[in-house]
Amino acid sequence: MLKILEELCLLSGVSGNEGAVRDYIISRIDGFCDWRIDSLGSIIAAKQGKKRAIKKLLVSSHMDEVGFIVTGVNEAGLLLFSAVGGVDARVVLGRSVLVGPGKLTGVIGTKAVHMQSADERETAVPMDSLYIDIGAKDKEDALSHVALGDRVSFQPLYQPFGSGLIRGKALDDRIGCAMMIELIRSELEYDTVFTFVVQEEVGLRGARTASYTVDPEIAIVLEATTAADLPDVSGEKQVCKLGNGPVVSFMDRSTSYDNGLYQKAFSLAKENGIPCQTKTMIAGGNDAGAIHVSRGGVRTLAVSAPCRYIHSPVCVVKESDLLHMAELVKLLVRDFAGGKDE
Amino acid sequence: METIELLERLAQSRGVAGQESAAAEVACAELKQYAESVAVDPMGSVTAVIKRGSPLVLLDAHLDEIGLIVTWLGDNGFLKAGAVGGVDRRLLIAQEVVILAEEPVEGVIASKPPHLLSAEEEKKVPKVDDLWIDTGYTSEELRKRVKLGDRIIFKSGFHKLLGGRVCSKALDDRAGVAAVLRALELLKNEPLSCGLAATFTCQEELGCLGAKTASYTVEPDLAVTVDVSFAHTPDAPEHKCGKLGGGTMIGISPTLDKGVSDALTALAQEKEIPYQLEVMGGLTSTNADSITVSRGGVKCGLLSIPLRYMHTPIETIDPADVESTARLMAEFVKKAGGKNA
Repeated sequence: MLKILEELCLLSGVSGNEGAVRDYIISRIDGFCDWRIDSLGSIIAAKQGKKRAIKKLLVSSHMDEVGFIVTGVNEAGLLLFSAVGGVDARVVLGRSVLVGPGKLTGVIGTKAVHMQSADERETAVPMDSLYIDIGAKDKEDALSHVALGDRVSFQPLYQPFGSGLIRGKALDDRIGCAMMIELIRSELEYDTVFTFVVQEEVGLRGARTASYTVDPEIAIVLEATTAADLPDVSGEKQVCKLGNGPVVSFMDRSTSYDNGLYQKAFSLAKENGIPCQTKTMIAGGNDAGAIHVSRGGVRTLAVSAPCRYIHSPVCVVKESDLLHMAELVKLLVRDFAGGKDE
Repeated sequence: METIELLERLAQSRGVAGQESAAAEVACAELKQYAESVAVDPMGSVTAVIKRGSPLVLLDAHLDEIGLIVTWLGDNGFLKAGAVGGVDRRLLIAQEVVILAEEPVEGVIASKPPHLLSAEEEKKVPKVDDLWIDTGYTSEELRKRVKLGDRIIFKSGFHKLLGGRVCSKALDDRAGVAAVLRALELLKNEPLSCGLAATFTCQEELGCLGAKTASYTVEPDLAVTVDVSFAHTPDAPEHKCGKLGGGTMIGISPTLDKGVSDALTALAQEKEIPYQLEVMGGLTSTNADSITVSRGGVKCGLLSIPLRYMHTPIETIDPADVESTARLMAEFVKKAGGKNA
């Protein structure tokens, strides 16, 4: 799974431009399921199990990542841009990025610290005053290499570090994608449907249409969620902690989760000796927000990997959490599809 | 182009002010092919005699880069750091860093997620002291690997942009080091009647300290120091900036020698070397400030390579400006043997 995760993190898939990620996923699942691509670009993959499902189960992850989109070019040949998804505005400055299908390197800078006023040095730079420098000598030069609407992504990154941690770009939500690829390639007890969806970061849009099409009874969303386990953040404000296992939420800003599924996840984790935690703040949101209100309603659960510095170019997760999450999800898939969901 | 490989080698080597030895090694290895002798002085600056003779001309650039320094080891692999040089604090969050411990340790500058910040906090730039660096190690493992005082560099690759432009950390002032090395290459087979020395000095970012001792030791009659200066971007005042790709910037200032500045300008015109003038009202904030007042005084000029995004991990230059700087220095040295001084 980690090898697949690494390959996924090195791909660019800013919302609305998930093609490279989709192609990779298809190359991994082809032959292991019946898959098709819906009108928005999500993959709907039906995996046959040993038995027919007692309850129709959907497992879903999103393929897209936060990034930017080129909105203009100024006379100096610098690119103007907007954020795509909730990029943390504090992490944009001083970065190199990849621009457009040609993956041109660009850098995001401002005038030097020496020329900033005392006030300017103390104030976070609003994203709309920044620009991307690709080295073009003027507007015409820039437009011969870049088109308006080109997506811009952070530099590819996947690297183990420290005592069992991994840092990478787009771990949100390539973690979910990698786990679903593994599940599809393995033997499952019951028929299960998997969706790799587009446009989560711009409003849970791919999940909305894919879950309509699948029409499941139960859904599990696989995600990465904010961990704030830093030295000067205490107690409940840490939300969740790296090393304490997968995160199962009772509520976030998009969903009040099904209580039966929530309880079942913890009891299953306990029975099998898998560490598991919940979120201690009502924060964040994910595709569950769209899926649980699909058609007449879907009982939904979210299982997430705790992740530091989410929506930045350097997300940090713990390997053991990913392995525990994969273990728990496998059991949940078996039990939910097998009708043992309480 | 070989200059680009040289730039990459130099810029990607590691040398935060006060811990320049790894960068010094790279620079020494390059210098040896041109020099009669190369030495590292007690402060950590590299000094080289290219050729003995009089007048003795010194070509200088600084070796150190800005960075951070480990000041405190916390729990769960987190540590605190102080700034070394003029770090732009607005871009620290979520940057990758390398702690220059005995075995380099990689880390990420940690940040609280936005939902834990008040609206006011979100607009404020954190003090270096408020930040933590996440190494991912256990408390115990961190203490085995990292010591207080270890320097920290920004981790950033060397990237090629359009039009031959390049970006990396530490092009301030490894681009200057590259220009000096390139000038020495241009002078390699020239019969010089003057003496020639080169210094790659430490601790410029802490107040031009390395240049103080190195220029004392070398005792030049004439000097040209190479640093980087601001290349214009639309958010910066035009009159304080040069143009990226516009040629070497010849410094003019009350603290620089007028004869040297004039000679550099005349030579640039005569040899058709692209140049632009950079006028300052006093101190230059470069090694020239130290060299001019070394011992009984040194006639010193300043050439600057225009650079965008100074003191960030994405410093950007046009290698053509390194070339014009090198050519002008070489012409200056050739002329110095005659009546130029």
